Amino acid sequence: MARAKVEQHPATGTTLIVMVGLGMAFLLFMAFLNVVKSGNILSEANLLFATLVFYAGAGALYLGFGVTGTDSYIKYASLMTWAGLLANSAAVAHRWYEAGHPPFASIYEMLLSFVWTLAALTLIAEKRYGVKVIGTVTMPVAIVGVILMQLLPSEVRPLVPALQSTWLHVHVTLAMLAYAGCALSFALAMMYLIQDKMKTETFLVATSVFTVGIYAAVLLRFEKWGGLNVVAWDAQNKAEVFISRGVRLFVTIPDLGWLMLLVFAAVAAPLLLYMVSRRRKIQWGIAYATRRLPDALKNLWHWVILRDKEYRSEAAALWKAVNPLPSNSDSLIAVADRAVFISILLQILALAFFLVRVRGGQYPSLDADGLYATSLAASPFILSALVGGIFANLLYLLLLWRRTDLERLLPDADTLDRITYKTICIAFPLLTLMIAAGAYWANRAWGSYWNWDPKETWAAITWLVYAGYLHMRITRGWRGRRAAYFAILGFAVVMFTFFGVTYLLPGLHAYA
Amino acid sequence: MALSLRSALRKIWQTLSSIKTGVVLIILVVIFSAAGTVILQRPMTDADDMERAYSPAMLRFLDATGLTDVFHTRWFVALLILVSFSIIAASVQRFPNAWRFFARPYKSPDESFRKVLPTQAQIAVPGNPLFDNDEEQGLNAAERAFKHLGLKTERIVRTNSFSLFSERSRISEMAVYIVHASLLLIFLGFIVDSLYGWRGFLMLSPGTASNQIEMKNGSLRTIPFSIRCDGTGEETYADGTPKKYWSKLAVVDAGREISRKEIVVNDPLVYQGLRFYQASYGRTGKLDQLILDATPTNNVASTPQEISLAMNQTVALDPDTSVQLVDFIPDFVVQDGQVYARSKDIVNPAVHMIVTSKKVNSSVSVNVWLPPMPGIDENASSPYTFDPKDLKTGVYTGLQVSHEPGQFAVWAGVVLMAIGLTFVFYVVHMRFWVVPVRDAQGGTVLWVGGTANRNRDAFELKFKTLVEQIQKELKPEFVATAQGQAATIAGR
Repeated sequence: MARAKVEQHPATGTTLIVMVGLGMAFLLFMAFLNVVKSGNILSEANLLFATLVFYAGAGALYLGFGVTGTDSYIKYASLMTWAGLLANSAAVAHRWYEAGHPPFASIYEMLLSFVWTLAALTLIAEKRYGVKVIGTVTMPVAIVGVILMQLLPSEVRPLVPALQSTWLHVHVTLAMLAYAGCALSFALAMMYLIQDKMKTETFLVATSVFTVGIYAAVLLRFEKWGGLNVVAWDAQNKAEVFISRGVRLFVTIPDLGWLMLLVFAAVAAPLLLYMVSRRRKIQWGIAYATRRLPDALKNLWHWVILRDKEYRSEAAALWKAVNPLPSNSDSLIAVADRAVFISILLQILALAFFLVRVRGGQYPSLDADGLYATSLAASPFILSALVGGIFANLLYLLLLWRRTDLERLLPDADTLDRITYKTICIAFPLLTLMIAAGAYWANRAWGSYWNWDPKETWAAITWLVYAGYLHMRITRGWRGRRAAYFAILGFAVVMFTFFGVTYLLPGLHAYA
Repeated sequence: MALSLRSALRKIWQTLSSIKTGVVLIILVVIFSAAGTVILQRPMTDADDMERAYSPAMLRFLDATGLTDVFHTRWFVALLILVSFSIIAASVQRFPNAWRFFARPYKSPDESFRKVLPTQAQIAVPGNPLFDNDEEQGLNAAERAFKHLGLKTERIVRTNSFSLFSERSRISEMAVYIVHASLLLIFLGFIVDSLYGWRGFLMLSPGTASNQIEMKNGSLRTIPFSIRCDGTGEETYADGTPKKYWSKLAVVDAGREISRKEIVVNDPLVYQGLRFYQASYGRTGKLDQLILDATPTNNVASTPQEISLAMNQTVALDPDTSVQLVDFIPDFVVQDGQVYARSKDIVNPAVHMIVTSKKVNSSVSVNVWLPPMPGIDENASSPYTFDPKDLKTGVYTGLQVSHEPGQFAVWAGVVLMAIGLTFVFYVVHMRFWVVPVRDAQGGTVLWVGGTANRNRDAFELKFKTLVEQIQKELKPEFVATAQGQAATIAGR
């Protein structure tokens, strides 16, 4: 079957490889001209450019593989990834040598290391575990990472006293590895759900909820009369502008808020359409809940605390009654899929406007007189959120259009379930050590091993969630869907710890 | 009554040890800690900011429930203690079984066990005309196969059976208890610290010593020794960002200097369980030394005399004249003929000195201000004019002091947890049994079975190699040569 499929597409296979090859040759030739002009081959910018070119080639081929399933792409794609990884390693080494410390001190350096880890993990997953399609997901992320790096301030900045510690590197390396492991387990759990025949429309709901959440978070910065508040950036000192200790100055970019609101409506549309198409189920569920809410609470008590078998079977019966209820119309789902496509275009538009408005121009602030500039470096989280939203929706379209191919290419459900568990078995000890190293460092720098700083607290919550996963799996034998949901929840908490806490909950971890 | 009490206790014990209780408790911990990161917390946030952020009624509610200082409220600590009890109860309840399993390994599998074991194989032992004891020969071959794979074996001889047992890393069965114990150790240290630990602040200027620590609530705590500051300073990078803060400290106990250390951020001084951290550094806003050039007013051509003044210090300028520094204002402003201090930052300093000249029977004092303050100063009638050269202001080092007696339990717990987790995830307890049995035709068959407590895929592979190796060892030519060697060794 697989073989037959490959033989159907030999022509397109060669075409894509030739096209990618030509494109890269062109880019490298342009870069060569540039190098000849500047006379400095091994500068970090050039190394990063080479990294970008190779990753872009690899990403295109991996995507081609994901879409067409032509096996021959993989060979060239991993070759490109190897080349990119080599250039990336050189860039990391160059940075390390120039800065005198491992590259973890700023967002730029973290991204540099993150992209490196991502590419290395892709190759490991592909060669060691045979998860060939993983590059389709990871390489675009790596490309976005390298592009983001071009936008962020890249000069080597000296370390402030609190960061001058070996423990910084231990702590951050462990965090990187642990979070990369969590990300991998998330991707594997998603693949498991695909292989476990989860309905495509459920993924529609998941990606829509994710994107709606992103735009809701961005709109927290909505300012009256359609502006969007972003942090002001002092270009001279390459730093955020502070009004007082720990309080950043926000400037309002006019009209950007309206655009974000529009895109919010666009990304919410598929979700609404889905809910309309499933209104009978929802109505039924709501009616049941209102009629039997007291009972339901009692159920919860009986079910969770007293472990009453009877109530549990009742809950199962309820699920059985609701689940097969017919949908009102599947045609609405088709409309929702089209709405996803339109929302992607609008999201790209929003990202483009955001990039243009942030990079150029001075904006007024509500808290101070005068005009202030801003920069992408001041809003890394909005930027990653916008890119992440587009990426999630693109992945949904990939699933929608190429589900059968994906199912053929991915390992079977049992294997994925097992690998997910194994990845968490690696990530969990790393998470533990990361927290321990952080505590030891905090004990040396801040005077106490535990300060209940938001980042610390959320790291502990992450740890508890994964500990819960392991207990449920080992003592209760949770496998399959439930375990996959748990792995996804774990990664959601990781993402919140990494981005959400920095963005929403200020604390001692101000520099990361 | 006694019975009902007992049954109630049993009920409590069962509830406490159930995994669901554990999960519910942990969910509560998660919810409240998350609340603690979202709701502004008391000691870190200023009272003003709190009032700005919440309505008075809301704030009263949050304060009453302790939600403005979640992590230090009694109920949160109680919740953590409850989680510890749940871990203890769950471990205690499950431990005896696990211990039995650990202490008395199951070495000789009976028939029902052999029937249900998922990983097993049967290998026919080829009859060998030279030796009549097929069972012995089969087990010997199996022993060689185990040895080939680096596993130790044990012959189990029971009254009615005769078999082979091999295992590796039995400790792995205990690993989860190591992890739970380590968690309890960490909790213990944490609870000890929240009960007996304290944190405070000590501000020292160079040359001063103190044994009074200022606690968070403003009270003072006396420690049994004092800390002397011999110097402090900062270094900056070329672009002005701070590079290093340092303080030279000495421990003085009962008047004797015990030790010295230069501390920096990330490298504290430790003495008698107290830790002193470099936390802040700054200028006190007080004057340390003022350096001036003084020139007699009536003899401007004479060489100026350089003098140095500290606060309230009097220096003689000539046998009849002396000057005293009486006031230093770091940031002055003049209003209604009065000089006021606007802030403590040295941005606009002024000094007030009194120049006293002895006359025949009396002395005349003149108020001199630098810079001159029209209407206030009497600089014109001073016998000397002063030209300020340098202003040395006082610096201070802010030391964070902490006493956390429980932290050693925490670190021990962390190390133990690392060991425990290594065993939990990466050390596999493997067991193998080989039992010679008779098949339906009456020939000897080796029943080989095995199990592993985790990582079954890798184990299956290992089992397969083992079975193949045994089959290889059982081939007649192998058996013959091996037996021959054994015979020669025995014969020698």
